[in-house]
Amino acid sequence: MLHLPRWATDCLKRADPALAASQRPLVLWEKQKGAMRLVALDAAASGFGLRIGQSLSDARAIVPDLEAREMDRAFIEQTFADFADWHSNASPIVAVLTDQASYGDLCLDITGVSHLFGGEQAMLDKLLQRLRSLGFSVDGAIASTIGVAWAMAHYLPGRIVPEGMEDKALQSLPVAALRLEDMQVDGLLQLGLKRIGQLYERDRKSLQARFGASFLLRLDQALGWIEEKLDPRLPIAEWFAEHRFPEPIGLIDDVLMCAHDLAVQLNSKLEGAMLGAQAFHLFLYRVDHKVMTLSVNAARATRNAEHISRLFSYRAERLGGEYDAGFGIDMIRLAASSVSALDATQAGVFGIDDGTRTLEHLHDRMSSRLGPLAVVKTAFVNSHIPERAVRLEPAIAPRPSLLSDIPEVAAERPLRLLLKPEPINVIAEVPDAPPASMIWRRVTYRFVKSSGPERIGAEWRYAGHRLKLTPQSIEAATNPESPDRYFEEGEISRDYYVAEDDGGRRFWLFRLGQFGIAAEPRWYLHGFFS
Amino acid sequence: MLGNKAAVLESLRQKITALETNPLLKETDVPVISAGLLATPRGSLHEVFADSVRDSGAALGFALAQARSQIEASRPAVLFMQLEADALEVGLPYALGLQSFGFDPERLVFVRPRTITELLWAVEEAIACRAVAAVVADIVHPHKALDFTASRRLSLRAAASGASVFLVRYARDREATAARYRWKIVPHLSAAPPFDDRAPGPPRWRVTLEKGSLDKRRNATPAGDEYLVDWTDNGFSPADDRRRDDAGLPRRPAHPHAAPAAMGDGLPQTG
Repeated sequence: MLHLPRWATDCLKRADPALAASQRPLVLWEKQKGAMRLVALDAAASGFGLRIGQSLSDARAIVPDLEAREMDRAFIEQTFADFADWHSNASPIVAVLTDQASYGDLCLDITGVSHLFGGEQAMLDKLLQRLRSLGFSVDGAIASTIGVAWAMAHYLPGRIVPEGMEDKALQSLPVAALRLEDMQVDGLLQLGLKRIGQLYERDRKSLQARFGASFLLRLDQALGWIEEKLDPRLPIAEWFAEHRFPEPIGLIDDVLMCAHDLAVQLNSKLEGAMLGAQAFHLFLYRVDHKVMTLSVNAARATRNAEHISRLFSYRAERLGGEYDAGFGIDMIRLAASSVSALDATQAGVFGIDDGTRTLEHLHDRMSSRLGPLAVVKTAFVNSHIPERAVRLEPAIAPRPSLLSDIPEVAAERPLRLLLKPEPINVIAEVPDAPPASMIWRRVTYRFVKSSGPERIGAEWRYAGHRLKLTPQSIEAATNPESPDRYFEEGEISRDYYVAEDDGGRRFWLFRLGQFGIAAEPRWYLHGFFS
Repeated sequence: MLGNKAAVLESLRQKITALETNPLLKETDVPVISAGLLATPRGSLHEVFADSVRDSGAALGFALAQARSQIEASRPAVLFMQLEADALEVGLPYALGLQSFGFDPERLVFVRPRTITELLWAVEEAIACRAVAAVVADIVHPHKALDFTASRRLSLRAAASGASVFLVRYARDREATAARYRWKIVPHLSAAPPFDDRAPGPPRWRVTLEKGSLDKRRNATPAGDEYLVDWTDNGFSPADDRRRDDAGLPRRPAHPHAAPAAMGDGLPQTG
């Protein structure tokens, strides 16, 4: 657990060297309930006796030489999240604990990691040393539960609590160290329960009745009786390969070259386990505490290094100006997710060469460059409304279709369908003669031949009633002007005609509503025949 | 003197032909897939022109008809490419319509890039794939990026890979292009279907081959070769607009299966 009590001011000072160099105390204020109150202080400001929650004018009276800035909470939280992601170079599971403050508490799961740094103490020292040398004020602690680690980092920093010693470690700490709500802490203090050790012997039932279940939950979690789960910021990858650079790199070509090497490493790892993956993520750790993520997907599970690195190079082309290496990248990690079994024979060089595999690879490549929604296939939906009968789906990840066959249609359908039917002016005999001419996009077309109509009604589940937002009432049903009345099917049924103009162009147009039933039938153009 | 000049000219001409001839673009004996009407060799760049967007149906129909003839068992896929923004103007191919046109909608993959540069990249990437039979690119507006160099590049790539490219375009004026074939499609008043004079018949197009030649021995006439064709079940068939089609029955629209008779209301064919 790392606790950065002065993150907000520290990160502003890091971003602005002039601010860091000045000797004036820095505070951040925020408007709370109409008053301007302090929300963050740097060390100099707290040295003058300022505290969080004080009003800005009071603070100015105490310290006339105050540097006060408005809090940009979104920015501070975002930079803290980036900072947290960057810590995944120390441990794969990194979370920001937000239940007490929205930034400042960083939790790392170091199970099975610490030996890489030479033990827990060495790891803690190294992490703290690294951050302190960057100018952050930071405290840390290591414990077997999140609750104890949090309490230690906040109240007795620098300790390592061995497993089984949680209750002793917490004994002398104030009750606020349990991450309780303010009301609960106030209540406990009123009862004279100041130390956590005093809570151990109390009757749990009365404590729960007085302070709620969340209080006991926090206590049990801290003592390790109930498991507390971390919510990691980055997906946990079981399969990954990574590379650290002695000197930071910046060029995208170098990154892609490294990605290829990592893909080869990952390939051998996955091959050993007879696995393939459908999603690959490339994490680029920048020296200035940001992580860039590039993700690509494949239509079928793969571990082919050439294919993966090619997908990443296409994905990088789509980045364009977004790519920014900052001051350099010092670590790259390639992780695989959506892992599934893949037999060794399938991925071999001597596999049977059929077109479908190369086609799927083509779809992967185009999706990685153009975006997954740019490469689509049609799927059929069980509907007789023409525009609903067909759906576009990503070619690399189609949803399973309910319809296996192409649905039968009663009459010919157009080759091209407009995305939205376009309103047109039509001259036709009333009630249901075929159209004689139309005006579409300000050009008149005179029809010489036509066939139809093909009547397509509303779907049965919508026919007979309108989708209502308010309860149906009898008055509304009888009042034709009300939007909530029942409508008859003839009002929204469509009569489709195929009409050929004197130049041989053939259009698919329809009349919405029937004469005599609908108040005002309208005409639309919906498609073109070949 | 005069004879000498002629000889020099002749030798220069030969030199230039030798320089110009790219082994890929040479008129090789590529097997023609089906010896039908308007059959073209694979691996060539086509431009399919229509006068304006309102003829987009006919132009797309012709391009898909040609693309269908390029499909074979080892090359099953056809890709349709269109800029995302253009779909609002001219619409997208409709799967049920493709079915009634005689084109298997399962084969067609849509690619919808945002810019013309991405589209050209996608065309190149697609024809490099062994499983792709043809790419139909629907380009509604003229673009600067689609110049002679780009078309030359595409035609070389197409010749190298064996997949055909059809650029469907809408304009009256023509630019310099390296396409091997340039077609102009104008829809034509269709013949009457067998039993109903007042209904539209199968698609009929006036196809002008403005550039390139289907017959190797003969160069195209300056005005272009003109064909009047119907699109039927069996591909293109020549149409004669003066003669009324009394034989009727065999010439049916390219409709893969008849309309089911079980539909409750017998659909009137005229109003």
